[in-house]
Amino acid sequence: MSLTSLDPRVTRLNLPEGEQPPVEAKPVLDQFETYETFHQKKEGTAYTYVGPVHAPNEEVAFLFSKEQYSRRAACTGMWVARTSHIMVTPYVGDGENVYDAIRTEEPTERSEQPEAYEIFHLKKRGKAHTHAGRVEATSYQEALQEAKKAFGDKGPIVNVWVVKSKHVFRNNEEDKDMWLTIPDKKYRDAVAYKVMDKITKYKEENKTTAVQ
Amino acid sequence: MYGGGNVFEATKFDTLQNEDPVKMAEFEARIERGEKIEPNDWMPELYRKQLIRMIEQHAHSEIIGSLPEGTWITRAPGFRRKLAQMAKVQDEVGHAQLLYSAAETLGKSREQMLTDLINGKSKYSNVFNYPAFTWADSNIISWLIDAGAIVNQLANAKGSYGPYCRALDRICAEEAFHLKYGHDAVVHMATGSAKQREMIQAALNRWWTPIMHFFGPPDKMSTHTEILMKWKVKMASNDDMRQQFLDMYVPKIWELGLTLPDPNLKKNAETGKWDYTEPDWEEFKRVINGDGPCNAERLAVRRTAEERGAWVRRALLNPKSKYVKPLA
Amino acid sequence: MNELAIKDLLYKLADDELILGHRNSEWTGFGPILEEDIAFSSMAQDKIGHSLAFYTLLNELGEADPDTVAFTRNAEQFHNSQLVELPNGEYDFSLIRHFLYDNAEIVRFEMLSRSSYEPIAKVATKLKGEVKYHVLHANTWIKNLGASTEEAILRLQSSLNEALPYALGMFEPSKYEQELIDAGVYEGEEAVKAEWLKRIQAVLEKTDLKLPDLESIEPKFGGRYGQHTEHLQPLLDEMAEVFKIDPTAEW
Repeated sequence: MSLTSLDPRVTRLNLPEGEQPPVEAKPVLDQFETYETFHQKKEGTAYTYVGPVHAPNEEVAFLFSKEQYSRRAACTGMWVARTSHIMVTPYVGDGENVYDAIRTEEPTERSEQPEAYEIFHLKKRGKAHTHAGRVEATSYQEALQEAKKAFGDKGPIVNVWVVKSKHVFRNNEEDKDMWLTIPDKKYRDAVAYKVMDKITKYKEENKTTAVQ
Repeated sequence: MYGGGNVFEATKFDTLQNEDPVKMAEFEARIERGEKIEPNDWMPELYRKQLIRMIEQHAHSEIIGSLPEGTWITRAPGFRRKLAQMAKVQDEVGHAQLLYSAAETLGKSREQMLTDLINGKSKYSNVFNYPAFTWADSNIISWLIDAGAIVNQLANAKGSYGPYCRALDRICAEEAFHLKYGHDAVVHMATGSAKQREMIQAALNRWWTPIMHFFGPPDKMSTHTEILMKWKVKMASNDDMRQQFLDMYVPKIWELGLTLPDPNLKKNAETGKWDYTEPDWEEFKRVINGDGPCNAERLAVRRTAEERGAWVRRALLNPKSKYVKPLA
Repeated sequence: MNELAIKDLLYKLADDELILGHRNSEWTGFGPILEEDIAFSSMAQDKIGHSLAFYTLLNELGEADPDTVAFTRNAEQFHNSQLVELPNGEYDFSLIRHFLYDNAEIVRFEMLSRSSYEPIAKVATKLKGEVKYHVLHANTWIKNLGASTEEAILRLQSSLNEALPYALGMFEPSKYEQELIDAGVYEGEEAVKAEWLKRIQAVLEKTDLKLPDLESIEPKFGGRYGQHTEHLQPLLDEMAEVFKIDPTAEW
């Protein structure tokens, strides 16, 4: 016998009735590894951190991020980077600048030619990292030093993320029309629901029956 | 969607005594100053444990919470409702994703959380163990359960843990749509045909007890949570949230000429607070411990979804990849 | 231009989108991983949105309002291909259907954006970007899963074999085919099919999946003329269950 539900979709799943034995623990990586997502709200503005997704690779991560993080608000571009590719500095307190606290460390790995790195700053705890800019360097440590010179004096910075540009997966320029219709999807928008007229009309017609 | 019906563990002060006093002082001073805690900061074990428990329960409540309204996803009447119902149920799944990620930053993997959910080891909000008999039930959930959740979530968004706050900011923004959509649907029913009105009143009657349960047991019955309040893990008392909810929504229900199945419900002019009949807290306990009308079905659905999707996940698993917890 | 021909075209576009969007929405909350659940729901919503856009054009041509058209007709009044009404099955079947359908839809939309019938051209141009994501999603999944484990390849191959006769049914010519082509409204099903075939072959070549010889397959025609499988009417009954409590009510 399978379970009959109020939800016809559930009835069609043919769920077994009765108590089931406990499931085995999910295997490691059942939910894949994680990727971090940055979006651009408007052309010309800095990419901002929106959150992680679990995905088997970066192209699937992009598919996932696009709907998890840009289905509701205007968006003009999206970057995705594997979490393990992002180097994170320590956090300092609000109002401080982490660049002042970082000791110069010897790079563990160095490339022969300088390559591009993307730098993200967190200005206040609890807020989101935003893209500060790009530097050229031969290691993460050097990139951080270069970032300090280039953008390190712009007010409080409590934390920095550094990621190689080649590790950032970006949407194709010609695919930006994927986001074109987002602002038109009014049914997902609170302002589309206006019922004051109906309430007022009801109250006027039912003065005697409406309690309190 | 989530209520205060979450279960905190009794605080064990001996666990606190093992913590480094200097680090503890810094940690508490940071929270006192209004700064957020970020994943790599030092934190007391109790803080980590209670946050994982709370955020995980919240995440489970979202994924299970997608099921009662999901009951009506294929039957929503008309394009406007059909699209909105789909988007709303989708949002609940999206919120689960955000919250599981926030909990992961504290060191519990999503694999472990999903396993614990299916095996009944971790809890979720008890309201989702009640059935949505009709389309009107779905409307009541969209409006009033989400309204309750927003009261809770707006409070928690001012909490101390950065990743949870970031997730909640996003969630609250999305729930503004849920609330308006739910209200819109209820108003249409209440001011519509006699049949519609009858449907919405019946649904409201069915959901009133679960709604009163939603914020959790009265403060006098709850575990002492002073330390969690001090650490800004728990941000408002169950009774305060329930009062806030009643204050905001009872008038909106009454103005539609709908009634609530509690003859004692009224605002007390002297105290400025709402008087009401205590809902059956034994029922609450029974349901949260697994014996509600839909507990078995809810978990069976989740279990089947995971099992049916297993081949997809096996196929895409890259054995060379290495799990790293999300950064923020 | 013969208005009946335009209406016929709009009905088949709209009905395909409505029924597939409805089917895909059934996955919400049951997907193989949370993130995919969300993505699949977005695409289902887009499809319902597309159907609404086309029903709105029909309404402007004098047909009933979109809710009435979508929620009160019976199966024999629907012009969708049989492919979209089939039950979801397991995720492999839903993915294969998504892949076969969306690669045809993008071709249709690209052609329609050049249509001489301006209202259709405008809608197609506007919504093309959404379909672009649907195709990217479908192709990425098929490329990834189609070159993964034996289990996944077997599942997808068997779903592909099962779905193909129905997929070919999408290209059933309408009785106004030549008229629409001559007027520059629509380039016709043969043209869509030829381009579709190129595109799905290009993706399948990158996988371990084999495209069966299409010549040997009998297309499942009939849908465009109201002949449907036994699955459509129950779907419509379910969809309209609440609406039909009182079709005159505002819900």
